Amino acid sequence: MAQTVGQQLIIAAIPGLPLLVFFVLTLFGRYLKEGAQFVAIFGVATSLVFSCFALFFVLRGDGPIDFAVNWIDLGEGGSFQMGVYIDGLAAMMLVVVCFVSLMIQLYSGAFMLGDKRFAWYYAVLNLFTASMLGLVLAPSFIELYVFWELVGLCSYLLIGHWFEKPSAAKAATKAFIVTRIGDAALFAGIIMFWRATGTTSFEGITQAAQAGFIGGSLFTVAVVLVFIGAIGKSAQFPLHVWLPDAMEGPTPVSALIHAATMVAAGVYLVARTYDIFVQSETAMLVVAYIGGFTALMAATMALTKKDIKRVIAYSTVSQLGYMMLALGIGSFTAGMFHLYNHAFFKALLFLGAGSIITAMNSYNIFEMGGLRRRMPITFWTMVAAGLSLAGIFPFSGFWSKEAIIGSAFEEHFYVLYAMALLTVFLTALYIFRAIFVAFMGEPQTEGAREAVESPGIMTGPMVILAFLAVVSGLVGTPLRDFFGELVAPSTFAAEVLGLEPHPFSYLLAAVSVAVGVGGIALAYALYVPKPERATALSRRFSGLYAFLDNGWYFDALYGALFVRPAMAVGRFVREFDQRALGRFVTGVGRGASGIGERLRPLQSGGAQNYALFILVSVLILGVIVGAQYAFLTVALIAGIALVVVAVGARL
Amino acid sequence: MTPQVQQFLDTLNATIPLEGYLVVGAIMFAIGVWGALIRRNAVVVFMCIELTINAVNLSLVAFADYLPDAGGAGVGYAVLVIAVAAAEVAVGLAIALAVYRTRRTVNVDEVNLMKG
Repeated sequence: MAQTVGQQLIIAAIPGLPLLVFFVLTLFGRYLKEGAQFVAIFGVATSLVFSCFALFFVLRGDGPIDFAVNWIDLGEGGSFQMGVYIDGLAAMMLVVVCFVSLMIQLYSGAFMLGDKRFAWYYAVLNLFTASMLGLVLAPSFIELYVFWELVGLCSYLLIGHWFEKPSAAKAATKAFIVTRIGDAALFAGIIMFWRATGTTSFEGITQAAQAGFIGGSLFTVAVVLVFIGAIGKSAQFPLHVWLPDAMEGPTPVSALIHAATMVAAGVYLVARTYDIFVQSETAMLVVAYIGGFTALMAATMALTKKDIKRVIAYSTVSQLGYMMLALGIGSFTAGMFHLYNHAFFKALLFLGAGSIITAMNSYNIFEMGGLRRRMPITFWTMVAAGLSLAGIFPFSGFWSKEAIIGSAFEEHFYVLYAMALLTVFLTALYIFRAIFVAFMGEPQTEGAREAVESPGIMTGPMVILAFLAVVSGLVGTPLRDFFGELVAPSTFAAEVLGLEPHPFSYLLAAVSVAVGVGGIALAYALYVPKPERATALSRRFSGLYAFLDNGWYFDALYGALFVRPAMAVGRFVREFDQRALGRFVTGVGRGASGIGERLRPLQSGGAQNYALFILVSVLILGVIVGAQYAFLTVALIAGIALVVVAVGARL
Repeated sequence: MTPQVQQFLDTLNATIPLEGYLVVGAIMFAIGVWGALIRRNAVVVFMCIELTINAVNLSLVAFADYLPDAGGAGVGYAVLVIAVAAAEVAVGLAIALAVYRTRRTVNVDEVNLMKG
């Protein structure tokens, strides 16, 4: 349908405003100083309002908002367009991204107070938001890729915000390089699609694939390459290693990366190109099994972490695995619903962790203890988020997670169902282990004894998010599924997958809630009445404990497989550069300067010498040109001989 | 042009062939180049350059007179060359003067600031 110019301007302003804020803060940040946050919050709040307009336009039932302008015109080779495509999925994402970003920017004002790059922090935060909004709006691969890379750049800048700390600088580099592997694969996939179909727009590729312009193994390879891009961004196995290290960034940044911007991009990419994915059964299975495996793997890794942010980080990896699992088994709405719910409770968990860190300047949960009385708001909001994450009725996480696990069972993916159910148990266990150890019992250190509740500007957003973590799921209950009406797979995807609606299964829901409660109970039993029990347990299974604590030794494995060989290649190249190339280049330079030294006397500074050269040259040229006249030649040779004699006498 | 003068010129032309003028011109040119390359005094160098220029002029005028189709163009060229030579001398002598003022010499061998 056609939009009015006003509507188009509003849509364009959604990513445009944060981008504008970025430029304003970059240019004038040093004068604004702490005032930067007000500029940023104003910008992103306006974006949120406009996003709500966009959501309203879509809800009104006008169909997707779709317009574009030509960007690169290749003439015969077609053209690339910059455009906007907003359906229910994109509208939902816009609102979530803007909202979470707004909460985090409010919170950051207090958290980052006194930071020497305060304005720059806000500038990049806004660029991050703008890139993610642009990514959400993109109707074609090439536009998506532009914003995709911008998101990667911003995550690099923000993870390395405290780059004076070597670990932060390393974590930023690691995040950038690991996601880059995925980016390269995504780009290769885009090129394959473009070569085969001559278009990069999602719709065009879908139609071309249906018409059979690209098919068979080539199509599957291209889809899997695109999925590898999503793996990199969404920190799925085997490219998940960057996300836990990304905790070196400021905590609100972790919240933004984990809730709305960076990691959601991968899941969103799969959802956005769902019509393409569903045409390859193999690719869908890859998505589902990678997701399921990642969910389980990350949950086990989270069990042993002492750093509260790392526990939450692994839980993000695990929850993203759920979303991928849902998309892979064809349960599109459930996956996106989980993305939506996850954004709120995961942002809240991070803000809570940030609140603790501000209060007592430690990440280690075993140095906390007893914070329940000192920081009641943080405690209760964290508990709400934890229950939501564990999928306990009626918190928001319950509705989406239950939908995923239920459809895994009903679509007959029993292995995935078992993995998902086990993950529910582990999720409840690890998150309540962290909450119980941090908030219950006795204070373990001086810092924990003297911790005070964070200021209102920090707890405010936390309370709002806690409210959402409790109720956000209510838009998608089995009674009235508003969310499912807004964000549904296209009729095409539904046909290909042969989806049929399943009735809500109370039995399955009861089972997974029971498993979740069991996890919480185990966490309580292990860590609250007798904490030494957990220590004894970890000592008995010290091998397993070390295995989990080291993240299944993935870092060591990648270190041995890729990093060290890469370093060795680097050293070899450096040696080669210094020894072989360096010497060659130096040799050429020395040779040139030596020849120059030899030739230097020729430039005597005497005009007469130069005139002599000219004369001799002219005579030689004359000889060459007039060579056929033997007489002339002889005469010239004689002349030259004369001149040479003259010069000899002269010099 | 009176008949007497015409007659004299015809006689002259009959006795001295074109090659005579050209040989004289070539010798003058060679002397000029030799001098310009060899002499150390800048003023003498200029004089030698004048010599080469006039050698060329001689050739031009001779051609103009001997070649029936030339139509006297060579003479016009000669006048042009004389004018250019005058200008060249003016500039050249000014340079020589300036050099003399700063360096107290007009020996071209000692003027080698551009030595590499």
